[in-house]
Amino acid sequence: MSMQEKLIETYLIDGVKFPFCKGCGHTHSVRYLDKALTLLQRHPSKVNLVSDIGCIGLVDALFSDIHTVHTTHGRSTAFATGIELADSILYDSDLKTIVILGDGGATIGLLHIVQAALLNVDITVIVCNNYLYGMTGGQHSSFTPFEMVTTTTPSGSIVPPMDVCKVAESCEGGFIARVLATDKNLHEILAQAIEYPGFAMVEILEMCPEYGLKYGGVDGKKLKEIVDRENKELGVLVHRKDREEFSSLYKKSIDKNSFDAILKKSDKTIQQEFTSSLEKEIGVVIAGTAGERVQLSSYILLQAAIGSGLHATQKNDNPVTQGSGFSLSEVIISPRDIYYTGIEIPQYVVITSADGLREITANGLLSGCSDETFLLVDSSLHLENVKGKIVHVPLRQTFGPDRAAVGGIGIFIWASGIIPRESFEREIKIKFPKEAEKIIGSVYQLTNQIIFSENA
Amino acid sequence: MEAVQSMVRIRSGNQMVAEGALRAGCKFFAGYPITPASGIYKLMIDMLPGRGGVALSAPDEISALAYCVGASLRGQKAMTATSGPGWALMIETVQYALMTETPVVIAMVQRLGPSTGGATQNAQGDVLLVEHCTSGGYTIPVFTPSTPIECYELTHIAFTWSELLRTPVVVMLDKEVGMTSEDIDYMTIHDLTTLSRQRSIQRDNGKNGAMDTYYFENPEDVPSFVPVGGQIKATVTGSAHNKAGKLQKNSPETLEVLYHLQKKIDAHANQMELVKRDLQDGARTLILSYGITARTAREAVRRIRNNNGKVSWLNVLSLFPVPANKIRASLHNIERIIIPEENFGGQYRSVLCNVFDKQEIVGVNKLGAMITPDEIIAKVV
Repeated sequence: MSMQEKLIETYLIDGVKFPFCKGCGHTHSVRYLDKALTLLQRHPSKVNLVSDIGCIGLVDALFSDIHTVHTTHGRSTAFATGIELADSILYDSDLKTIVILGDGGATIGLLHIVQAALLNVDITVIVCNNYLYGMTGGQHSSFTPFEMVTTTTPSGSIVPPMDVCKVAESCEGGFIARVLATDKNLHEILAQAIEYPGFAMVEILEMCPEYGLKYGGVDGKKLKEIVDRENKELGVLVHRKDREEFSSLYKKSIDKNSFDAILKKSDKTIQQEFTSSLEKEIGVVIAGTAGERVQLSSYILLQAAIGSGLHATQKNDNPVTQGSGFSLSEVIISPRDIYYTGIEIPQYVVITSADGLREITANGLLSGCSDETFLLVDSSLHLENVKGKIVHVPLRQTFGPDRAAVGGIGIFIWASGIIPRESFEREIKIKFPKEAEKIIGSVYQLTNQIIFSENA
Repeated sequence: MEAVQSMVRIRSGNQMVAEGALRAGCKFFAGYPITPASGIYKLMIDMLPGRGGVALSAPDEISALAYCVGASLRGQKAMTATSGPGWALMIETVQYALMTETPVVIAMVQRLGPSTGGATQNAQGDVLLVEHCTSGGYTIPVFTPSTPIECYELTHIAFTWSELLRTPVVVMLDKEVGMTSEDIDYMTIHDLTTLSRQRSIQRDNGKNGAMDTYYFENPEDVPSFVPVGGQIKATVTGSAHNKAGKLQKNSPETLEVLYHLQKKIDAHANQMELVKRDLQDGARTLILSYGITARTAREAVRRIRNNNGKVSWLNVLSLFPVPANKIRASLHNIERIIIPEENFGGQYRSVLCNVFDKQEIVGVNKLGAMITPDEIIAKVV
């Protein structure tokens, strides 16, 4: 602030009237927040107050020139996190975002507080804890002290209260304080919290005159007793200097080179160097075991087909566990545009393992085969009541489990002739440069055996 | 230099949603993993930070969308991606974005429901859940691509309308569209105009030079944007409010704002209409479809015509607001309309009932597996 500028005496609206009940802690908290802001003298456009639901949610209307965002119940911290991330990373600005919410908002939105603390995102969360839900009729909250009477705990609460400061501390929150609404230095602690570069939380212990006092009998003295009984320490509990604020960490973590490499890889186009004489659309099913490169191998088939001027689609399936059980790819290859991406009758089927066989038996693909279907099956597998021409080949034994699928696809390409072999060779040399020659050699050998046995 | 004739890459629908978002100027992405939408999340994490944006992980879908809405309130184009179970969690925040007139795009990749349903099974069962997710029944614009290129273009268009109307917009895929890869030629992608958000300039509203955050003259106008953190004070609220963003109950101005939220969309509904048509002279049957079943329907049309049959095809790309004009303009001589949907009971069919006056409407519906072309053909007379 330059000397010429006038001191801001208050950030509240002219002639502010607090909407809270007589004796409500919220009035104290808001006054002290205003005092904290006047201590800091930030330009109003550089302050943003994000409010929640409940009585304390009325606070945004009390401030005059600062930005205010009134949100949904408990989500205030999450909206504030988004605002702050965009502000500090994408604008490099120094907007100070302050969240103010009650114990109800802190409960329903606890995960948002947890994540903000873990990220150490530069926001300040003020939890006005009056131990219950005031606006809706004095129901107990997760912050209600043990044995306290509320409208929904008429015999006294039988559940211990949450310690939100401990929660934030366990999530490595950088600045954590707990104060009474009547503490004389509350504004100084709030100012410290707002200025702290990272996640700051201040829990303000308040009292609800309508339900806390009248119903639960909690007056100022009783409030202090509760605090003492729960061994809740007051003052600044955590003030860490060893935690870096999220946006600066994030910016540092961006490795331009690795992103360029990813972009370069994804920008790669497929050159059509070959041509195919395929005249009609065909469906190819490749079934095997998860983790044995079934889908990757099918992708090679896709590339080889497209490199031969054909259109092709691929869809994959595997159990939700990703790395166990079956792995399945359905590839459609066609000289014309492919509209329907399902396979009605498979023309070619490659099965490399029992997992794959089980799956295509269960999902009906196998029973959908016709007399014209060509099935290339690992020698270890036995097929029953399946239409089509079945050829057993020692895929796993020859290529190994991880290359059985690509070997099977190779044999299918060699034997069917639907795609030029060179197209497949080109892709396999890129994908498995060291083993390419060996794989291609075995494909050639096994294909000849099949053709020889057919002719014999 | 030799002209580039084609630029072929293998892409899935999910990948093209991400690329379309980047092209549209999306600068913020927050995600939470869910099959079949996780591919979009991964792509944005891989690609956005290198292009000067932010892509990060949220601890749940509620946070993911709230982070996006927050970033948008600050002034950046933002997107998240999810599927049915995640959408269920996001509905609260979708409504907040609508009420606060905050642009945001959600890519919704449908899977089988209800509940966790089937993560890797296709469905088109969230049509009404997405469209009718607001208290008050406001229109959520929804675009439904059926190919990777449409994913790219419609994501871009979704951003455009989200910015123009200041409202949440959904790009709704299904598992088959999102996760199936195929060859696409980048030379066939339409070049689209990218809009930047129209910012508010200081305007005296007679109240000490302050600025109404939601100021509009006519209810169908869209207020110019006041970013949180900008020079002009922003007063944002998800509660019923007047043009100044002040909480008010049932004041005439507050009611005007509530009507305005729908009127601004209605006023642009004609411009938002987007369909692809392949109408045939003499056809008495029209197959009307969207998403993955549009591809199935198109294959059915090919087979019918190969057998010298006559049939017309309409692919609805802007599912909501319902492109009623363009649908009605496709009904010349049509007596029968077939609507295939991979959901129980025909969700979009139920919406379209009042668009048709005399045609017979027939649904082809299926759960748990793709509808086949022949199942559609069976309904063509």
